[in-house]
Amino acid sequence: MTNTLSRRDFLKLGGAFAGALAVGKFIPPAVAQAARDAGHLDANNNGYIPSMCEMCVWRCGLLAKVQDGRVVKLEGNPEHPHSKGKLCPRGQAGLMTTYDPDRVLTPLVRVGKRGEGKFRKASWDEALDIVAKNMLDIKQKYGPEAMVFSSTHNLSQPLFENLLQAFGSPNYGTQRSLCFNAMIVSNLMTYGMEEPDRDYSELKYIILTGRNLAEAISNSETGELIHAIDRGVKVVYLDPRFTKTAAKATEWLPVRPGTDLAFHLALLNVIITEGLYNQSFVDQYTIGFDEVATSVRQYTPEWAAKITEIPADTIRRIAREFAAAAPFALAHNGWRTSNFVNSFQTQRAITILNAILGNWGRTLLPAGGESGSLGAPPQPAYPRVSALRLDGVPWKYPFVPLKIGVFQQLRDSIVAEDPYTAHGWFISRQNPAMSLPDRKKTLQAFSKMDFIVTVDIIMNDTAWFSDVVLPEASYLERYDPLLVLGNRAFLRQPVIEPQGEGKSALWIYKQLGERLGLSDFFQYQDDEDYIAQQLAPIGASLDDIRKQGYIELPEGNSELYKWNTPSGKIELRSETLDKAGFDGVPKWEQPPAPKSGQFYLLTGKDARQTQFGTQNNQLLHKYDDEPGLWMNVKTVASLGLRDGDMVQVTSDVGQIFVKLQATQAIRPDCVYMTPGFGHLSKGLTTAYGLGSSSSDLHVTYTDPISGSQALSQTFVSVKKA
Amino acid sequence: MTDIKNIKHKAFLYDATRCIDCRACMMACSVENNIPMNKTRIWVAGVGLKGEYPDLDRASMVYHCMHCDDPDCLSACPVGAYSKRPDGPVLYDHDKCIGCRYCMNACPFGVPHFDYDKGLIPGAFIDKCTMCPQRIDNGLEPACVATCPTEALMFGERADLLVEAHARIQAHPDRYIDHVYGETENGGTSYLILSHVPFSELGLPELGSKPVKDVSEAVMGLTIPFAVTWGAVLTGVSVGVHAYNKKKEAATEEPAEAEESTEETK
Repeated sequence: MTNTLSRRDFLKLGGAFAGALAVGKFIPPAVAQAARDAGHLDANNNGYIPSMCEMCVWRCGLLAKVQDGRVVKLEGNPEHPHSKGKLCPRGQAGLMTTYDPDRVLTPLVRVGKRGEGKFRKASWDEALDIVAKNMLDIKQKYGPEAMVFSSTHNLSQPLFENLLQAFGSPNYGTQRSLCFNAMIVSNLMTYGMEEPDRDYSELKYIILTGRNLAEAISNSETGELIHAIDRGVKVVYLDPRFTKTAAKATEWLPVRPGTDLAFHLALLNVIITEGLYNQSFVDQYTIGFDEVATSVRQYTPEWAAKITEIPADTIRRIAREFAAAAPFALAHNGWRTSNFVNSFQTQRAITILNAILGNWGRTLLPAGGESGSLGAPPQPAYPRVSALRLDGVPWKYPFVPLKIGVFQQLRDSIVAEDPYTAHGWFISRQNPAMSLPDRKKTLQAFSKMDFIVTVDIIMNDTAWFSDVVLPEASYLERYDPLLVLGNRAFLRQPVIEPQGEGKSALWIYKQLGERLGLSDFFQYQDDEDYIAQQLAPIGASLDDIRKQGYIELPEGNSELYKWNTPSGKIELRSETLDKAGFDGVPKWEQPPAPKSGQFYLLTGKDARQTQFGTQNNQLLHKYDDEPGLWMNVKTVASLGLRDGDMVQVTSDVGQIFVKLQATQAIRPDCVYMTPGFGHLSKGLTTAYGLGSSSSDLHVTYTDPISGSQALSQTFVSVKKA
Repeated sequence: MTDIKNIKHKAFLYDATRCIDCRACMMACSVENNIPMNKTRIWVAGVGLKGEYPDLDRASMVYHCMHCDDPDCLSACPVGAYSKRPDGPVLYDHDKCIGCRYCMNACPFGVPHFDYDKGLIPGAFIDKCTMCPQRIDNGLEPACVATCPTEALMFGERADLLVEAHARIQAHPDRYIDHVYGETENGGTSYLILSHVPFSELGLPELGSKPVKDVSEAVMGLTIPFAVTWGAVLTGVSVGVHAYNKKKEAATEEPAEAEESTEETK
């Protein structure tokens, strides 16, 4: 099934598209010329070019070793705060993503039935004309709202948003509601910011609620945690699985899925009833303490022990230890915690825990975020949109930010054709056929569409079901808008020429904008001009930033004790939530549990893969574990199964067949699988046929406050296939 | 920090307590050294999920060439395909190799591996970690070390790394086994290991401080005297038998002849 490259193929691939560059020493192509001018490449076109990784959303700085038009090695850039000279396995394997033999190198137009995978090559002009014509037809017949747009967190997203807003559609899906909406909305409600920065430098005690930093690697933060452990920091880690983070933790608590909220409520109970909180911080910087104190009085450790299956004295001891370590303590707000519908209130409890101990300013700092000092091309105001959003924001989900949305609801509304019918879908760098829960329903949504266009570098599963596929240049082949981190702006610049006819997102959206009559929204000549306009206000040029890969920005003035909440303080009780009819202080919400004979279906991360987009990378595949279904050894025996058996796993919405992996490292009432396997596209020759997809099993449950998909709230039965 | 080029005795320090088994080192090595897709020079084994739920522990180990101070592979190689650089790396020359696989049998760590699928193509037999001479000679750390996100792998002067390793043990005696593997094992290696679980659980052999090759060389050193002696014995026996037969014919007895000739060869 897997098409493994031989050594010769690997070398050949490296050179495959360098053929035209053989004469590069005499007439260097644009990328090499720019890199030579910036002093990165020598006369033979060898050297290192600074840029940024895109194998996940952490965006590490990299130094690409280039030899005569080929990238041959990637190194972490020591100047970049997210890499500090290191790259994770995905970052190291990045050149295999660029040199993937399955790259889509020309625009493609579907010729067979949708999903059959038959396409013909087309020129950019033809493909863009087809896309623009379909989009305009849909707009004319049904209004701009009938065109749905979705994309995943990336640096050219502002231009994608520009395209959809200029087009006039309110319908925008991102991956966030499948990820950490609960964290973001909770932080917004408490601190008035999406995600405060975490500081490990003085840390003494950390509680990780499902934040598996050793496997869901955020390069610099993973390093910081391991160094903190080295210094003797105490780590309490909650997870139903004994992950590689659990192995590094001081204390692993195999909490019952969905009950992390009870654990944190009990911590609050002990810290408040025993008077261990920071009174002066609470008085000065927070509101709503009394309401929290009253609310958590009932949540004793004994109460929580029954729910969480963590002993009461363990909870009491951790509460006391944690309070004693404050303010050098951190309840990590994780990304997804337990992934149940009560995850929003879990997140709230975590933020409150940090606040009442006065950890703010020590282990939690205001988010660095966007700098206002960069420029942007001029553009007119967007057209007014009157149509409702299909994803229910804000009319059904009032607290979900517009630029984040509720993706699974968007999909459901497309299928239900309610409140109106969508006819077209524009997808960029995203793979909803894999990422959304209940895959059958997602494919149903595709079938409702008159027209689907996908922008990607490979034939991902969604592209497979598309009418037009537009080939993007890979992250090593293109520019993107700048990334601001602290007081520096970082550059992603091409280190090699785009292969085939791959083009940057900046170019694709501009070309489309022009065909859609929206050129006023794309007032830049080309990628370089866009970045030049970004740099203009600080008096710098593209050449300036190209040299180091970053440029210093004027000092921003972020105030430590300032929160963008209605009260201007940290809101322990949120009046906003109260007014909307939700709990303004966190209260226990009992999550559903599996029926007898069923198991919690857990999903998580593996250090070699990022979500649904990296499984076709042959180098990652080479060193990855075989995907399978984890089940506790005792459970396996009690079901009369054996390690390695092929089993049938069934949920309320689907079933899969997968190989069983008997392990000690999971609660007996849970099963686990790494998501991202079980691809549908035969255009992914490495990933196709490998493992099965958790998306076939996941049931759609949306948290009404944050819009988060409760990914762990799916229960399955398992039997021998 | 000393320029890597100038380090006199280059060595790795691997700290199993810091390793998260992410395998970035393996990717980095594969790319840096252009390793075929079905081969590897580094293994990271998640060797140890130990215990029963919920009392569990886990350890992982990054296996490299140990770059022994006194390499057994070099000693065993009949054609001189191996060499030991004075600053640490144990290197292998594809062009000299005849594919006899003595080095595989000699290495107590099982490091050199054989390209069985390549048959008898000259120069394609053995592969192993080289310590990335193309990098260290240009002032760069080996690819695996340079990328390690948790600094579980470090690179430097062997003596300095030993000081660092012992300092870590002293600072956290509860965390580490009180031993730096490779400090003395097999006569000392350029790959030093710290661990929180017994080294045998990481799959490392228990070795004395004398290189295995010293033992084998001591034995092998007797080969020539032994051969000569044994040859003489056989000659003596043959001569004796011949003489005996003759004597049988002549009905006389001179049995000490063979023993005498043995004495003479000593």
